[in-house]
Amino acid sequence: MDELELLKKDWKKQEGNYPRLSYDQIYKMLWKKSSSIVKWIFVISIVEFLFWTLITVLFADNEYWNEVERLHLKEFTIISYIIGYAITFYFIYRFYRNYRKITSTDDVSSLMKNIINTRKTVKYYIAYVLISTGIVSMVMTYFIFYYHSLNTTIEDVSAYTFTTTQWLLFLVVVALIFVVFLGLVWLFYRLLYGILLKRLHRNYKELQKLEME
Amino acid sequence: MKKELEHKFVTNLERHQNIVHKICRIYTNDQAAHNDLFQEITIQLWKAYPKFRGDAKFSTWMYRVALNTAITLYRKKKRGIQTTDYDSVHFRIEAEEYDPAAEHQLKLLYSAVKQLNDIEKALVFLYLEDKNYKEISETMGISEVNARVKMNRVKTKLKNILNP
Repeated sequence: MDELELLKKDWKKQEGNYPRLSYDQIYKMLWKKSSSIVKWIFVISIVEFLFWTLITVLFADNEYWNEVERLHLKEFTIISYIIGYAITFYFIYRFYRNYRKITSTDDVSSLMKNIINTRKTVKYYIAYVLISTGIVSMVMTYFIFYYHSLNTTIEDVSAYTFTTTQWLLFLVVVALIFVVFLGLVWLFYRLLYGILLKRLHRNYKELQKLEME
Repeated sequence: MKKELEHKFVTNLERHQNIVHKICRIYTNDQAAHNDLFQEITIQLWKAYPKFRGDAKFSTWMYRVALNTAITLYRKKKRGIQTTDYDSVHFRIEAEEYDPAAEHQLKLLYSAVKQLNDIEKALVFLYLEDKNYKEISETMGISEVNARVKMNRVKTKLKNILNP
């Protein structure tokens, strides 16, 4: 076939026209895999932040604020927002720092250190989300119950009084609901970041193996 | 020990990098995609390197791993129909004696190759690299007869693309 021969001739002629990467450029490429995972962690953290902010903005209409005020939760809500955003921003900054650091890394041991750091940051972040969600929902539950009972007028108090066993049962049920709720939050974050963390871990193991050989 | 392995690998890859560039050229349409594929191939080669025991030539081994990477990646991406850009052929230089007719013909040829599927591209690439059927069959992991049959089909397909 003439055409393919023509192509082959041209192909050969261009042998010397390809870019030439230096030793260092190729060397750096070997570590880029982890950096793309870390980049994804950073991106996901931002998307997640935007998602929750959007949800908050969408749900926080006047009715919501009135309800919050009625339950005397206004100060608490505002303060928890401020603290929550501050901590979230801090984590996003940390994710960004990890990403920058890993992109500029060029030796194995500091790359391994960076991978460990990144995994740690993500784990702290998940722990923070769980703890803060736990605290916020516990405080809210307390306020809701407390002010609900204050605002309700009851004629026959004895009919609404709990015995000790009833109180215990009530506490157990509330605790169970908390555990299930936090468990779901945890599961969500495990899915969101778990895959990336696993891949990072695999890269880490690979590096470790090569280091030992 | 590890440093030594790394050094050996990078030195080898640096020496033979043209193979990877050429595969990138067949499989990608622009510089950014070229660089991405180059990097991906580099990573895959590095991952496979500990298994490379030197019983084959480094370049032969490279052909196999690099082509496999390109084929796998290309498969993942090929969800929509790829349109081929007429001027997508990068790194082209003008021939010393500029012949517009031949130049035009070459452009058509390159764009015809871009329309082939992942496996067909690999075959054309190995053909352009002057590999014989035995080498092609080893690189692609198919029998020699199969390589021959497939190659003929690719030639017919190219002809059909060029003269519809």
